[in-house]
Amino acid sequence: MSIGSAVVLAAGEGRRLRPLTKYRPKPMLPAANRPILEYVFDALVDAGIDDLHVVVGYEGDRVQDHFGPTYRTRTITYHRQDKQLGSGHALLQAREALDGDFLVVNGDEVVDTDLIEAVIDGHSAQNVCTLAVVESTEAPMYGAVTLDGDTVTDLIEKPGSGSYRLLNAGVYAFGPSFFSAVENVEREEGELALTDGIADVIDRGGHVRGVRANGMHSEVTYPWDLTELARTLLADGRVNEPEREPGVHVADSASIADEATLYAPVVVGADVAIEPGAIVGPDTAVGRSSTVEAGAVVRHSVIDSDTRVGTNATVEDSITGQGVEIGVGSTAPGGPADVRVGDRVHEGERLGCVLADRARLGGGATVTPGLLVGPGADIAAGVTLRRNVDEDTEVQG
Amino acid sequence: MCGIIGCVGHDDDTLDVILDGLETLEYRGYDSAGVALAGDTIDVEKKEGRLDVLRESIDNGDATPSGPIGIGHTRWSTHGPPTDANAHPHTDESDRVAVVHNGIIENYQALRDELEADGVTFTSDTDTEVVPHLFGAFLDAGMEAEAAFRRTLDRIEGSYAIAAVVAGDDRIFATRNDSPLVLGVGDGTYYLASDVPAFLEQTRDVVYLDDGEVAVIDADGWRVADRDGDAVDKEVSTVTWSAEQTGKSGYDHYMLKEIHEQPTALRQGLSGRLDELSGRVTVEELDDVGTPETVHFVACGTSYHAALYGVELFREAGIPAQAFIASEYATGPAPVPENGLVIGVTQSGETADTLAALREAAGRGAETLALTNVVGSTVARECDHVMYIRSGPEIGVAASKTFSSQLTSLNLLVESLAGGATGDSRELVSALRDLPGDIQQVLDETTAEAVVDEYLGDDAFFFIGRGQNFPVALEGALKFKEITYEHAEGFAAGELKHGPLALVTARTPVFAVVTGNDERARKTIGNVKEVEARDAPVVAVTDGQSDVERYADHVLSIPETHPRTAPMLANVQLQLVSYHMADRLGRSIDKPRNLAKSVTVE
Repeated sequence: MSIGSAVVLAAGEGRRLRPLTKYRPKPMLPAANRPILEYVFDALVDAGIDDLHVVVGYEGDRVQDHFGPTYRTRTITYHRQDKQLGSGHALLQAREALDGDFLVVNGDEVVDTDLIEAVIDGHSAQNVCTLAVVESTEAPMYGAVTLDGDTVTDLIEKPGSGSYRLLNAGVYAFGPSFFSAVENVEREEGELALTDGIADVIDRGGHVRGVRANGMHSEVTYPWDLTELARTLLADGRVNEPEREPGVHVADSASIADEATLYAPVVVGADVAIEPGAIVGPDTAVGRSSTVEAGAVVRHSVIDSDTRVGTNATVEDSITGQGVEIGVGSTAPGGPADVRVGDRVHEGERLGCVLADRARLGGGATVTPGLLVGPGADIAAGVTLRRNVDEDTEVQG
Repeated sequence: MCGIIGCVGHDDDTLDVILDGLETLEYRGYDSAGVALAGDTIDVEKKEGRLDVLRESIDNGDATPSGPIGIGHTRWSTHGPPTDANAHPHTDESDRVAVVHNGIIENYQALRDELEADGVTFTSDTDTEVVPHLFGAFLDAGMEAEAAFRRTLDRIEGSYAIAAVVAGDDRIFATRNDSPLVLGVGDGTYYLASDVPAFLEQTRDVVYLDDGEVAVIDADGWRVADRDGDAVDKEVSTVTWSAEQTGKSGYDHYMLKEIHEQPTALRQGLSGRLDELSGRVTVEELDDVGTPETVHFVACGTSYHAALYGVELFREAGIPAQAFIASEYATGPAPVPENGLVIGVTQSGETADTLAALREAAGRGAETLALTNVVGSTVARECDHVMYIRSGPEIGVAASKTFSSQLTSLNLLVESLAGGATGDSRELVSALRDLPGDIQQVLDETTAEAVVDEYLGDDAFFFIGRGQNFPVALEGALKFKEITYEHAEGFAAGELKHGPLALVTARTPVFAVVTGNDERARKTIGNVKEVEARDAPVVAVTDGQSDVERYADHVLSIPETHPRTAPMLANVQLQLVSYHMADRLGRSIDKPRNLAKSVTVE
């Protein structure tokens, strides 16, 4: 059926992406050199949605500031979820503004228009809910689905193992009656997930349709997923900047010195400056107004906006936040490395380092691969960093 | 100062188009509103108060103005208090003519005396009412409507944008003189308004009218002629921004949205104008402007504070510069030296005082440059040169992002006209590139909201600064006055002891802007100690380079940066102080009492 409205859930922090999410929610982290949420909006608009609703919560100002009142001339209505009590609760915040059937998508996963169109086409007045199902070996890691024909028989959150091969892609269409269904679900520890509401519909004998579809849908869970996501998007050429030569995308307002080298695939954002002798790429995104100084080398990395990579610095497999300063001659070599996220150590991940918003790496400093440096942290010149650094912490030599 | 609109060619929704248009013009005034719809007769409905009051009376069915064409008005009182009677449109005695007007009819008293002597009864205290009575009298004399309109214009003096309808006539007559008026060209529909957003939902094709031109629109089309009736060829331009750009994006107030928009607004203003590789600034619009020997700034309100900042920049570059309050300059201008440049700073480009000052200067042979946000505005068309600040539309009456854009643009302007004189272009370019991110940092980390809570209900609020932080102190106080309605003053830090110190008590918090750690900072810290000794609470806005924090009760931190960009970061903290204080006090933040966004009367 034809659907004109969509609710985008963008209220979550993304705890496992800390410290990058200190000042912005996960949907605003960079997919190559644009926020993930822009890709979500693009997919919706391309699928014919002209009424965008966004539920914001954690650091929601950042979403509002970036997009303003419209996206590609489609009106955006913002809804606030003051406490992060789950995706079902988030959806309820938009209830008053919706009538008729509507879509729901996650704001923190890049999805293809194909998936959205498949759900719109597959949804009918007989379905309380229709969701996109993709085949994936990773299904047990995320939300697995069992199907009987085109009927969803079960939703299993992170089963961890088992022979599940079908993944819930997080693209839904709902009829208006879904609100009362989700509202009446018993909450677990106060939280209410969208999938609880869908499971409840199934339990009560309602028809939930699963639409098998192909298309990209990429979960970003850990920081290193951001470099992987950039790599995927760049490989497909899915970036907005004009292509100067095959795989080399450069914004018109960027200034690239003649003696600088860009290795495809690479994307360079608006007002970026790349000085003589710098080498940027492959698999690298440089966000707007950033600077790569003379002789610096940046590979397989995501450099967010307003960042300065100092003269002769080397950065590999790394992610920076906004306004980061990487000092002259400093080094952040690439992975694989063991990465400590919270209490857990992830072994053998491809990660150089994460430098969160406005972190400073002094001249000549070296970062052991796999480290996370908090926002505003200040690493003195010449230091060799061997452990994670908390926000606003000074590390002396 | 008021907003006017007219519309023809809509069959059923004329009233809605006019009311929606007026809503976008409320920034120009909002103490009363009215509409007149004309067919065989004229229906007028007007109310004291916000547009909502008028809407309510229409929605309740208390009034049902109808007719194929119409005009509307939102008022900011100049002559006579805001009352139903003084609200526009005004009519003649027999309700054959209805008129909306923005501006001031300077010879209205003489005209009124003359009309009253002829037996005309006036129903309002306004200057405007003479217009419909004159118009009516010429119709009575048997003149054709357009001729009668022109004849009326011959009699009035002053500044005005006027739109008028006549019962039984399907045309709207309009003209402008020193007050803004634009014509909108739709598909079989035509509009007149004080500003483009008023009809932006209907069309993006715009004709900018010039002073003295008379526009006539009806369902068949539009034409523009000069005062003698000779047709004038006018160009239709298309505006590139959209009506949606003026939504609140989920914020409670436009002002908070606009404060948060500053990183984006500044990126727009800087984009393509800074070359990091060469360390140079290039502003295309200024290619044909030479290095001036002296500079006069003319401006009002917030723009005047921006001008004071610009003066500092020119002086650092070795060029003598002065800032003048435009209304003073217009009536008592300083001598314009040879090879001097007079720069008018006005966000809207329609500020009457600034336009008058610039005309005065131009009349004396000065080269003029406009620094404005509005493309196609009067100032942009009248000055020899124009540089746009590219801030995007600002709706909140209290300027926020446009002040930041003005300061940023002034850096580009001075660097472009007198570049290299200060010898640290490269550092400046780099600091300007960092500026949007630095402002984001202030927005991310500010504690202004918590600080405000400490001082709710205090007696008065003072703001002090030195050098480039002095205009910021003035602007901080102005913003505070405008939206909190509390008493606030800004002072050059060194002036405190020459008088204002007598006002300082334990209930007068002092906001001290201290950046860097040079002589200015050290001396300002001396002034901070003076107020501290009088028990006044001190809020330091600082980059932490000096030790002012030791003497402060609260600190609002900004990142360390170039001395020229530091004041802009401090200003953002002060914007947030004013906003949160006004919010706590429940003030009408986007439309403060008695104020209007662009002041198009002198």
